[in-house]
Amino acid sequence: MIIEAHGLRKTFTAKRGRGKAEKVEAVRGVDLSVAEGEIFAALGPNGAGKTTTVRMLATFTTPTAGTARVAGYDVVKEAAKVRERIGYVSQAGGVDENAPGLESLLLAARLAGHSRRQALTRADELLAAFSLTEIAGRPVKTLSGGQKRRFALAIGLVNRPPLIFLDEPTTGLDPQNRANLWDEVRALRDQGTSVLLTTHYLDEADALCDRLVIIDNGMVVAEGTAEELKKEVAGDVVTLKLDDLASAQKLLAAQPYIKEVQEEGDTLRAYLDDGEHNLPALLRALEVGGLAIRSISLERATLDDVFLRHTGRSLRDAA
Amino acid sequence: MFRHTMLFLGYELGNVRRNPVWPLFGILQPVLYLLLFAPLLTTTTKGGTLIEALQMFTPGTMMMIALFGSMFAGFTMINETRNGVLERLAVSQAWRPAIILGRVIKDMLVLVLQALLVMGVAVLMGLRLSLATVLLMLLLMAATGLFAASVSYGLALAVRDEGGMSQIVQFFALPLTLLAGMLLPVSLGPAWMQTAAKFNPLYYSVEAGRSLFAGRLSDGTIPVAFGLFIVLGTLALVWSVRSLRKLAG
Repeated sequence: MIIEAHGLRKTFTAKRGRGKAEKVEAVRGVDLSVAEGEIFAALGPNGAGKTTTVRMLATFTTPTAGTARVAGYDVVKEAAKVRERIGYVSQAGGVDENAPGLESLLLAARLAGHSRRQALTRADELLAAFSLTEIAGRPVKTLSGGQKRRFALAIGLVNRPPLIFLDEPTTGLDPQNRANLWDEVRALRDQGTSVLLTTHYLDEADALCDRLVIIDNGMVVAEGTAEELKKEVAGDVVTLKLDDLASAQKLLAAQPYIKEVQEEGDTLRAYLDDGEHNLPALLRALEVGGLAIRSISLERATLDDVFLRHTGRSLRDAA
Repeated sequence: MFRHTMLFLGYELGNVRRNPVWPLFGILQPVLYLLLFAPLLTTTTKGGTLIEALQMFTPGTMMMIALFGSMFAGFTMINETRNGVLERLAVSQAWRPAIILGRVIKDMLVLVLQALLVMGVAVLMGLRLSLATVLLMLLLMAATGLFAASVSYGLALAVRDEGGMSQIVQFFALPLTLLAGMLLPVSLGPAWMQTAAKFNPLYYSVEAGRSLFAGRLSDGTIPVAFGLFIVLGTLALVWSVRSLRKLAG
């Protein structure tokens, strides 16, 4: 395991006016284990504690309680050893806007122990790998969001870390750049680099990651592969709008092919396997029960359904 | 440790080299003071000459850049607390004090260059300075800059808000300027003012600068100023490096 964390907690003391302090429990006991060579995601709404968790694992923030070993070393007692073996790309990116990206890259390489010549070689490699060679000499503030993100990634990889942390790597990117970044992250894994990324995008966690945890309110509420987690809920989901939600919920829950019914606002979400074949039976049951349907749709279950099942609300509403 | 400090210094100097305009703007104010204010002071000197006025006034204007230029140095760092640069450096293999130290040394070097230019203008206006005076004055500027820049970075990391920081700097800048006797020597003022000035560290650097410019190189004010600023500068530096740790919350 390249990351093993047990009971990580972080409580911040926020000042509220004169003399008053408020305790904010950002992370409330997180257990994590990430295997070598996998892309692992922490999925959750904004404010769930994902960034604080990553910051503790990357030795930036000291945990209030709990322990974590990253790349074989304790994040508190052996922070220097951990820092040699990780790359860290924060949500803000951390690339100096006023200087050319090449300068930031060279500085990072030299701080990692490279000689001037080695640093130039390493920078050339990374610039080529991320298609940045042409724009290496331009001040970073003149670059596009996607280009800045690629520079941030290149800087994070300068010391050839076996593990890289990516905090919300695709937030603010357009779909094209987002797809490219996914490919770059997959390429990292193919070269043997482990990746821990945080995201609040369901499709990102679903498409990109080998395994994930869902984090909400500072705690892990579910862990597994996206397939496993979705299977726990059901293969398909029928979303219904009708006037008498309570009766409909009771009626649907009594059907043998329905695994679970969740109420979400003015809609019902009924989980079932093999939705195409069971939908006619469901419609018949509602008709026999005398319940008028205003709208109905059948979809594959997503990670949002997993989130809804574990937290009682949709990820879209949770932020 | 030394290597990392030099790496950060080299990086910062690279930024200065790419945008050399800003430090030049910095010396505009003292140069204008020399050109448009020093001639008004001829009546306050014994002989009533411009040279005497420049001897008395130039060290004060130079300390103005040491104070104003360096006190604003921290503003760039406030931005770096937000754009992730400091966050990234904090978890890199960089020796943390080097992050601040490299920047402070850059500020000191820029200050020395600015001081050289201001002295050049004063010389063009007729002032004569010995080599020893010039060298000691540059060192004194560097020592003052060490203190002012370190305070500025410490303040930036503690306040982390441009609005708050500019208020604080503005609040202190004018009383520090006047009570250091940068414009007119405090010795011209009443006794209470002279007493108050003794609590202002910049007063000692202005006094030492005046002794240097008057050619009194063995004057006691000079070692006092150097000693004071090396001690205060070191304390301020330690404070600002410690403030780095608070970033993580």
